[in-house]
Amino acid sequence: MRFRQLREWQLALPLALAFTALFLAPLLLLVGVSFYNDDKISQPGFASWLKFYGDPFNYKVIGDTLLLGVKTVCTTVLIGYPLALVYLDLSARLQKVLLFIIVMPLLLSVVVRTFAWIVVLGHEGVVNSVLMSLGVISEPLKLLQTELGLVISLTQIEMPLMLLPLISVMSRLDPNLRDASAALGASRWRTLFTVTLPLSMPGLVAGCLLVFASSTTAFISQTVIGGVRLIYLPLVIWQQSLVVYHWPLAAVASLSLVVSVLSVVAALSWVGRRSGGYIHG
Amino acid sequence: MFNRRSLLAGASALGGASLLPGLAHAKGGLVATTYPGTWEDAYRSIVVPMLKKKDDIDLEMAPLFAMDQIGKAKAARGAPPFDVFVLDPGPRIVGIEGGIFEKFDGKKLSNLSKIPEGFTDEWGVHVSAQVVGIAYNPKKLPAPKGWTDLLKDPWVSRLGLTGFQTTFGTSSIIEISKQFGGSLTNVDPALVELKKVLPKIAAVGLPAAMPGLFQQGQCDVMYTNTQTVATLKGKGVDIEFVKPESGAISFFTTMHIAKGTAETANAYKYLDLVVGREVQESLMKPPYNFLPVNKEVPLAPDLPMKSLDEMKSYVIHDWAKINPLRAAWIEKFNKEMAK
Repeated sequence: MRFRQLREWQLALPLALAFTALFLAPLLLLVGVSFYNDDKISQPGFASWLKFYGDPFNYKVIGDTLLLGVKTVCTTVLIGYPLALVYLDLSARLQKVLLFIIVMPLLLSVVVRTFAWIVVLGHEGVVNSVLMSLGVISEPLKLLQTELGLVISLTQIEMPLMLLPLISVMSRLDPNLRDASAALGASRWRTLFTVTLPLSMPGLVAGCLLVFASSTTAFISQTVIGGVRLIYLPLVIWQQSLVVYHWPLAAVASLSLVVSVLSVVAALSWVGRRSGGYIHG
Repeated sequence: MFNRRSLLAGASALGGASLLPGLAHAKGGLVATTYPGTWEDAYRSIVVPMLKKKDDIDLEMAPLFAMDQIGKAKAARGAPPFDVFVLDPGPRIVGIEGGIFEKFDGKKLSNLSKIPEGFTDEWGVHVSAQVVGIAYNPKKLPAPKGWTDLLKDPWVSRLGLTGFQTTFGTSSIIEISKQFGGSLTNVDPALVELKKVLPKIAAVGLPAAMPGLFQQGQCDVMYTNTQTVATLKGKGVDIEFVKPESGAISFFTTMHIAKGTAETANAYKYLDLVVGREVQESLMKPPYNFLPVNKEVPLAPDLPMKSLDEMKSYVIHDWAKINPLRAAWIEKFNKEMAK
């Protein structure tokens, strides 16, 4: 038994070393740099933390960043969950087609996807041209550089991250359970909320985690589609690290992003674990 | 059975060329930064083959904005990821203060006499001039006369605005500020005036996104440099350049040798080629439209100036005074412009 444990430990060693070198060490470095007062990283101290958290504006930035993640998660769930239900009822061939459509955005560079949304949402873009030609609007709508436009584009960009875990879990659900629910007289809605939804919670939570973490850190989409009037933490990190070179402040902003996103992720994981217990308990 | 030539060719094919320097392969390589977009296209198509032909040097271009170059070099701490920088005045000063450049000796350039006096110093060499003013879509808007027009109708509702992240953005906001009583070191009047018209402004974006937004009709007037205007015009975009009444802004783009590079000799050969007549003349032609620094290159008629001497009458900013204020300006811009 002891020998077997040792071998398992040895097998995990390469991953542990890679994790330490590529993730833990840079993270510790980030923490270390944040405790310097000046951009030349010469005076140790708490000034960067005090400066960042002494400015109420930065609380708004953190709040807006988390709120953007929540909004994107909500829209991806609202669109993605029905799509996953449709997927379950399709034939094997159509499931492959739908899966390809779902995965397709991942095959494109995020830069290309983001700039495509400029063409769609722009002042003279597809949406405005169609609405104006149909007479629905007389003046072009301002969709780019708004939070609405950003959430719309992030919903499409992040959709595969919601659908893939969701479909993976829902495909393994026993279809007899839904049939049994219907046979016992439950309506479709009741079956959805009392059988399908609880059983698909692990996939739903995993999708929410991925979408939330990805959308709150989507610097390119946030800045190109949202513009720089919508200020989120990634923009602040970029400005501090690559425009003014104040790396201690950039480190504080980065750690704030990591901690705030991880807090929500931890909360979602807790919900996921609880729902798992409920399902199996 | 084997002669020397075939042996070398075989060694070369097997990747053994690095063991035989100077015999079967190029005389070393060089990694130089370039700005993404027009600069990258121009340097890849003109300078890379010319350097290979003239000095047998394999030039690799690393497309990076000026700020990113400084950031990467500072992060590398003594092991520069590239051999030559290309920078605007603000980042150049940051680089000098950060000690990331080798000392530069202009006398090593055979083309030194072909560039105006003062175009080299102990840190590098001027390789191109840039002129910043106002670009607008002539099919959508009348020509603006000056910086203050940008904040009035009909221009303001079609204005694309950028902040202090770039040289041209910072310079333009300083000039707007001057029109309202500000100065080189006081941009508050510009921010106050911009805030008054903020709801009307068509787009506030990152500098890199502005040409795309202009092309897509998201905005029809913006501040930018002549080169961006020429490039967009070359792509069929309706765009014209206007020198503001108070004067267009000019600055020089410079190149610097990275501290600690092992390719100093090749770097000098590269810089010598870049300021030489052949490269400067080729870069000036469409679609690249660079403003040359070589005195022997006659300026094209569609450039914003007739001679390099005319640059002296343009607005030039002292970046040594601007740089220390920039971080605070960026924070202020964020707060004033945030939704």
